[in-house]
Amino acid sequence: MPILDEHTLDFFSRSPEQTRRVGMRLGSMLRPGDVICLQGDLGAGKTTFVQGLAQGWGTLDAVSSPTFIIVNMYRRADGAQLYHMDAYRLDSVPEAEELDLESMLAQGPLLVEWAERIRDLIPANHIWLEMEYLAEEHRKMRFTAHGRRNDALLADLRQAVFGGD
Amino acid sequence: MTDLKPARILALESSCDETACAILENGRVLLSSVVASQMDIHARFGGVFPEVASRQHVLAVVPVVEQALSQAHLSLSEVDAIAVTRGPGLAGSLVVGLNAAKGLALGLGLPLVGVNHLEGHIYSSWVYNAGETLPPEPQFPLMALLVSGGHTELNLMTDHLTYRRLGATLDDAAGEAFDKVARLLSLPYPGGPSVQKAAENGDPSRFHFPRAWLENSWNFSFSGLKTAVLYEVNDLKNRSGSLPVDDLAASFQAAVVDVLFKKTIDAAREFGAKEILVAGGVSANRALRQAFQSQTEFKVHIPPLSLCTDNAAMIGSAGYFRYALGHTSGLDMDVQPTWPLS
Repeated sequence: MPILDEHTLDFFSRSPEQTRRVGMRLGSMLRPGDVICLQGDLGAGKTTFVQGLAQGWGTLDAVSSPTFIIVNMYRRADGAQLYHMDAYRLDSVPEAEELDLESMLAQGPLLVEWAERIRDLIPANHIWLEMEYLAEEHRKMRFTAHGRRNDALLADLRQAVFGGD
Repeated sequence: MTDLKPARILALESSCDETACAILENGRVLLSSVVASQMDIHARFGGVFPEVASRQHVLAVVPVVEQALSQAHLSLSEVDAIAVTRGPGLAGSLVVGLNAAKGLALGLGLPLVGVNHLEGHIYSSWVYNAGETLPPEPQFPLMALLVSGGHTELNLMTDHLTYRRLGATLDDAAGEAFDKVARLLSLPYPGGPSVQKAAENGDPSRFHFPRAWLENSWNFSFSGLKTAVLYEVNDLKNRSGSLPVDDLAASFQAAVVDVLFKKTIDAAREFGAKEILVAGGVSANRALRQAFQSQTEFKVHIPPLSLCTDNAAMIGSAGYFRYALGHTSGLDMDVQPTWPLS
């Protein structure tokens, strides 16, 4: 698997199960303030990845794409919270600042689906995940880290997914 | 109707983006129903934003109670019990209605009844306006199809408050599929009504989208249908650059209705149900209503459009049967944001 540079990680998933497992690995490493942005068309596997991530983070709550609800919140037995936002229709909202990402980030990690639609509002430090449909079961995932904390997260993820370094 | 004790219930509902209060007699006769919708506020976000929703509930909850009482020409002293939605829904929204209900119950010394929002949707078929002739109530065993933005499930009801869950969606709820397809077709939020509107001018047989029958189970799946629409849309865009939105919407809607209708009828036959009940937000869909109304094998209960969306009347009905059958709640009751019906 090619390592483009220390800020980028490419992964080619061969099944939804594999996509879910990568999500679980990343989810288990997240802490409050972490921002994971997901970009990809319908059918690119975003929901599958998020389901794995939430499971790895440790929630038992059912995870669905927050179609009607802009932000879903999932809870963990220790009281921690994970936020899951759908920004699909937010790009047309002039007052999107009202979303108050800050207060969510103080409480827990935040996942943003369709993050490209509110790019200006995304905090400087984040992991950007671009998902792409290749074939029926195959998806390309490209993680890009922004900021030192996220470089470290990505290094840990690379280690967890591929082993070695 | 039944020989249950008569009671007048004041009900509160605040599970998502509607703050609602209703007063109902004996689980059926609606004296007043007030719904403060936040639709306009959330429409600009293209979905419900939970923080905003709970702040709006706080502002609206006292006025809706006052309005429901005044419309029914009643005072709080003429109410026998307080019913409230306990879940499922948004935690921050549920807690506003629940605390208001607890305050009323404590202050008035009345029993408190926590109600499952999904059970409320089912009981909307028991509700009738005061002054109308009381139609016959649904008869058990009853096959209940619950279909909304967050849920799609089949339950066999053998008695009041008794549910046997036969199956549910394995992925997207039917209402969610409508909203996703609305996005694919660039139709406005909320997706259900806008897909239905486009479908009215469309040819439902133009595209043959897959029906996930899931033989030998009562489960549903709509994720594959959504993907099939996606591929068709991409293909059409690549070939011609323009989309026959109406035909796509009609063909998609036909696929959803086909599966919901046929599986419900099959389940009713299989389990010897006397009647069928359809409830939840998607029961407002005209094609789905027509499908059920076009058959004569089973009597079908579908609530009027005003009771398909969230309201407190349905909570008052389910709350009445809970109260009359002895299922009241303590003041230490908490919200249950993810609460299954059974």
